Amino acid sequence: MRTILRVIKFTGQSLWRNAWLSLITLTIFVLTLMTVNAVLLVNVVTSSAIKAVQNEVQVAVYFVPGTSEATEKAVRGYLLGLSQVKTVEVITAEQALQNFKDKNAGDPTVLAALDEVGGNPFGDAVVVSAKSPDDFAFIIEAIKTPEFAPSIKQTDYTDYQVVIEKLTSFTDKLRLAGLVLAGFFGLISMLIIFNAIRIAIYVHRDEITIMKLVGAQDWFIRAPFLLEAVLLSLLATIIMTGVVLASTKALDVPLMQYFGQANLSLWGYFTSNALVIFGGEFVGLAVLSVLTTVFAIRKHLRV
Amino acid sequence: MIRFTNINKVYKPTTHALVGVSFHVKPGEFVSIVGSSGSGKSTLAKLLFAEERPTSGKIVVGDWDITQIHRSEIPTLRRQIGVVFQDFKLLGRKTVYENVAFALEVAGAANARIKEVVPQVLKIVGLGDKHGRYPNQLSGGEQQRVSIARALVHRPKIIVADEPTGNLDTVTSREIIELLKKINEFGTTVVLVTHDRDIVNALKKRVLTINNGKIVSDVEHGKYMLG
Repeated sequence: MRTILRVIKFTGQSLWRNAWLSLITLTIFVLTLMTVNAVLLVNVVTSSAIKAVQNEVQVAVYFVPGTSEATEKAVRGYLLGLSQVKTVEVITAEQALQNFKDKNAGDPTVLAALDEVGGNPFGDAVVVSAKSPDDFAFIIEAIKTPEFAPSIKQTDYTDYQVVIEKLTSFTDKLRLAGLVLAGFFGLISMLIIFNAIRIAIYVHRDEITIMKLVGAQDWFIRAPFLLEAVLLSLLATIIMTGVVLASTKALDVPLMQYFGQANLSLWGYFTSNALVIFGGEFVGLAVLSVLTTVFAIRKHLRV
Repeated sequence: MIRFTNINKVYKPTTHALVGVSFHVKPGEFVSIVGSSGSGKSTLAKLLFAEERPTSGKIVVGDWDITQIHRSEIPTLRRQIGVVFQDFKLLGRKTVYENVAFALEVAGAANARIKEVVPQVLKIVGLGDKHGRYPNQLSGGEQQRVSIARALVHRPKIIVADEPTGNLDTVTSREIIELLKKINEFGTTVVLVTHDRDIVNALKKRVLTINNGKIVSDVEHGKYMLG
C-alpha cells in the first residue's frame, strides 16, 4: 500500500514538475484522438448521406388505365407482404397528373405537349421503397406474377437500375475509402504516440539511470511512467469527449438542414455510442501508450 | 569485506580493461584505488555495484558472491553499497530532501523512518538547512554532499566513491574527502577511486595502483606512485 501511494506521489510530481512535457504529450494525445474522431465523424456523415440517397430511390409501378381498385389494393397488399419492401405509396392518376404539372410548371413546352395529348395520360401507380437498393430487382421480378402482370403497364426500374448499381458501387468504394483512411490515420496516430512517449522517456533517461543506481527495482521506476501514460490517456479522452460532444451538438442542426434528414444526429450517434467510442478510444490510447512506455523505458533500465 | 579474485574484464572486441585483478579489502578500511585515465579503476568500481560484470574471476562482497548476480538482485546489492559519483547523479526535479529520501523510498522504508533519518544524514553532511533546494540551486560541493548523504542513508557497510572530487575545486575536494574520512571513522569501509595525487598523498591510507588494467602496487599508508 505504501509503495502504491509512493508511485502515485511520484506520478503526480512528475506530471507537475515536467508540466511542459506533460502538456505537450497531452496535446499530442488529444490531436491523435481528434484525428480518430474526425475520421469517425466523416464516416458517420458519409454513411448517413449514402442512406439518405438510398432512401430517395423508389420504383414506380404503373397500372394499366382502368385497373380495378381491388386489383391495385391486392398489388399493394402483396408488395407490403414482401420482406424486402419498406413502404408502398399509392398515387392516383389525378395525383400523378398534378405532380407532373407541378414538376414542369416552369416548362411551357412540356405543358403544351400535355395539352396536345389531351385528358390524363397517367394511370394509377404505386411507389415502392425497398429496404435495400439491392432488393429492387427481386421486387420487380416478384410483381411479374401471372396474377398481376396483365394489370402492370410498366415499371420505371430500368432507368433506376443503372443509378442504383452506380450508387451501390460508389457507396461501396466510399466505405472502403473510409476504412483505408481510418487505417492510415490510425497508423499515423500510433507512430505519433510512439514517438511522443519515446521523447518523454528520453528526457527522463538520466533520472531512470540514477534511480537504478540507487537501488530502485525496475517496476518501481516503470510504474509512475505507466500511470502517467494512463492518466494522460484518460485526460486526453475526457478533453476529446467534451470537444466532440460540443461540436456535434453545434453541427447537428446545420447538418440536418443540409441533408434534409431528421435522423442524421451526430450528437445522438456519439451520445448513444459514448461508452463504445470514448471508452474504446481511452482503452486503445492507454494500451498503446503503456506498451510504448514499456518498450521505450526498457533500454534505459539496463544499468 | 570485499574480495576480488583473478578478475578479468574484456570489452568486446579486444579491450582488456582489467587483467587478473585480485585484492581484499578488510571491514572498516579506507582504500584509494588510483590510476591514470583508462587504467581500469572506474571499471573496477562499476564491478562493485554491478553496473558491469566481470568476464572471469570472482567478486565477493560481505558473504555474497556477486560475480554472476541475477538482475533482480542488483537493487538489493545497491541498497547495501553507497555509491558516490563524480557527476553527483542527482535527480534534477527532486529537492535535496527528496533525493536522499528517494534511496529509502525505493527500498520500501516507512515514512516515519524516512522523516527521522533523512534530516539526520543531511545534518551530518552539512546540508541541514538546504532540504528544499533543487540540485541546480546548489554549488558543486553541496551537490556532492547530497550524493554522499544519499549514499549514507541506508547506513551501508561500504561506500564506493568514484572520482568524487573530479568536478570540484581544491578546497571543496578537501572538504569532501574529510567527510569521507569521518564516515570511515564511524566504521564504514570506503573505496575511493581517484587520480588526484594531492588527495591520495594527504590521506596516508592504503593505496592500490592500477595501470593498464593490472594492479601494480598495493601499499598500506601509500602514496600516489604514477608519474
